Amino acid sequence: MEGIDQEDVIRILRMLEESTFDELHLEMDGLKLVASKSSKKAGPVGGLNSDDHESTESRADVEPNVQAREEMPDIAQPSDLQENGFIAIKAPMLGTFYRAPKPGAPPFVEVGQLVSEDDSVCIIEVMKLFNTVKANVRGRIAEICAENGQMVEYQQTLFVVEELEDAETGEEENDS
Amino acid sequence: MKGISRVLVANRGEIAVRIIRACQELGIESVVTVSEADRESLPAKLADRAVCIGPPPPMQSYLKVDTIIAAALGTGSDAIHPGYGFLAEQPQLAEGCAAHGLIFVGPKADDIKKMGDKLYARKLADELGVPIIPGSELVCHVGEAADAAERVGYPVLLKAAAGGGGKGMKIVEQPEVLLTVFDEASVEALSAFGEDRLYLEHYISNARHIEVQIIGDRFGDVVHLFERDCSLQRRYQKMVEEAPSPAVSPELREEICKASVRIVKHIGYENAGTIEFILDQDEARFYFLEMNTRIQVEHPVTEMISGIDLVKEQFRVASGDSLSVSQEEVKVTGHAIECRINAESPNAGFSPSPGRIREWKPPQGEGVRIDSHCYPRYFVPPYYDSLLAKLITWGRDRDQAIRSMQGALMDFTVSGVDTTIPFHRFIMKNPDYLRGKVNTGWIENNLVKEYKGNEGDPFR
Repeated sequence: MEGIDQEDVIRILRMLEESTFDELHLEMDGLKLVASKSSKKAGPVGGLNSDDHESTESRADVEPNVQAREEMPDIAQPSDLQENGFIAIKAPMLGTFYRAPKPGAPPFVEVGQLVSEDDSVCIIEVMKLFNTVKANVRGRIAEICAENGQMVEYQQTLFVVEELEDAETGEEENDS
Repeated sequence: MKGISRVLVANRGEIAVRIIRACQELGIESVVTVSEADRESLPAKLADRAVCIGPPPPMQSYLKVDTIIAAALGTGSDAIHPGYGFLAEQPQLAEGCAAHGLIFVGPKADDIKKMGDKLYARKLADELGVPIIPGSELVCHVGEAADAAERVGYPVLLKAAAGGGGKGMKIVEQPEVLLTVFDEASVEALSAFGEDRLYLEHYISNARHIEVQIIGDRFGDVVHLFERDCSLQRRYQKMVEEAPSPAVSPELREEICKASVRIVKHIGYENAGTIEFILDQDEARFYFLEMNTRIQVEHPVTEMISGIDLVKEQFRVASGDSLSVSQEEVKVTGHAIECRINAESPNAGFSPSPGRIREWKPPQGEGVRIDSHCYPRYFVPPYYDSLLAKLITWGRDRDQAIRSMQGALMDFTVSGVDTTIPFHRFIMKNPDYLRGKVNTGWIENNLVKEYKGNEGDPFR
């Protein structure tokens, strides 16, 4: 196996996240990676190995960008969004997206509405199993990205939320 | 195609590519399910659409029946092709399709269930006069196993009733070790299949693995496409397959093909399937082993010698059409060999070698076929099986097919991950293989040791 690049490190970290292990130590030619689920030991130690330049250059030329497709949500999006104070609420599973708790009822949220972590924002149905999706973020709904009654994919962006400071959210709530 | 205009391909890797290409040729739209790890895969690029169904672990994506049915319905697909592995032989997916008005490109759920029970299949073959290996019914505890083993004679092979793929399968050479091996096999069966029912068979040591490809339609017509020889295995995993078998005489061929059709016709089986046999080389006798109710990894060798596209034929019969060929029209031309190129290190006990592929230069040429989902800089994810490509060559006879395979293996360059290519080069030069003098234990008992003594790759 040749050297690993940043993407590989992310994959390894995800594997750890999904595993039942708490800690991971990986050492291979010039690279040492220590990762832990508990925060006290967190963080990779040392740098990526020198093959890294070769690994990352002109990747886009070799691998056509499938994520540009309409139906493939761009997984690079959230970090960009986050920098600008926007956060995506993503589908936790593939299924049918419903904006309201039942047909005819008003939608859980509209654009401009303020939400906090525990607020329900939509329902995703998989074979008659209805899963309520929580906002998990405090802020204002900036965009609704999925259409009612349509299938959404795993990790598809459903809403874009403009993140608000705690104080600001409080103020807005008082106003309304 | 009548009844099928858009199909959901519920699989990944080379078989997803294979199915998508067949769809393209048939003018059927394809939607492929992908886990998060496969978003940038070749199937995702080739299909008309890719839908992400969940995180990388198969239990959370490719094995979720409800999610896959929801994906088919949500994308307006009218059929699901399961490929092999994953849900191909889980009756729940076929049942779910039936319940939601989707066409399952495969057999009826009931037939998957019936033939998936290895003991039922044995009994059925026996009733139809097809020889079965001397063995037992269910053995519930080690005492029963000991009695049965005494009766059929050591060595015996302990097998999981729900089994397949070599899991839960253990050889017992002498009565002394039966207790230990019985417990091991139970545990393995339980973890692989969710149940620990075992049975046992007499173990045939000088055996070849021969299987007959069949396909049936809903009008009760069944054709066989002759046999494949899959004797080159390592730990019950096939490495090299070829057709026709160099060890099967014309008389034996006729016998096993007729027996296969008899079994399949009896159950009214639809779509592609395979009847597996064990050929006892010392006694020149064959025995029914099991039936696989799916398209198999090694189907290309049959396609190469018969000129029949099995995946297209699967779509055809699933849509309600009759088979496109009759038995008289199925003719064998030449010889075909397939080598499974896995991301494994032959120098390190065939341990898996996932990671990023650097160079990927498959061979080309007359009579050379590659079924693969790989490309330069593709990342081989660690979550799934290690099959990177199937290299298939065709020749007018076995010698030509082997020569073509030797050349193709020399022209196959892969770097970044370790592969089984050097080991296949070694096989293709071995005098025993060239003479067709092998059995199912040959790779493990002979070749692996020889390979170690040869500094890995004898060509370099």
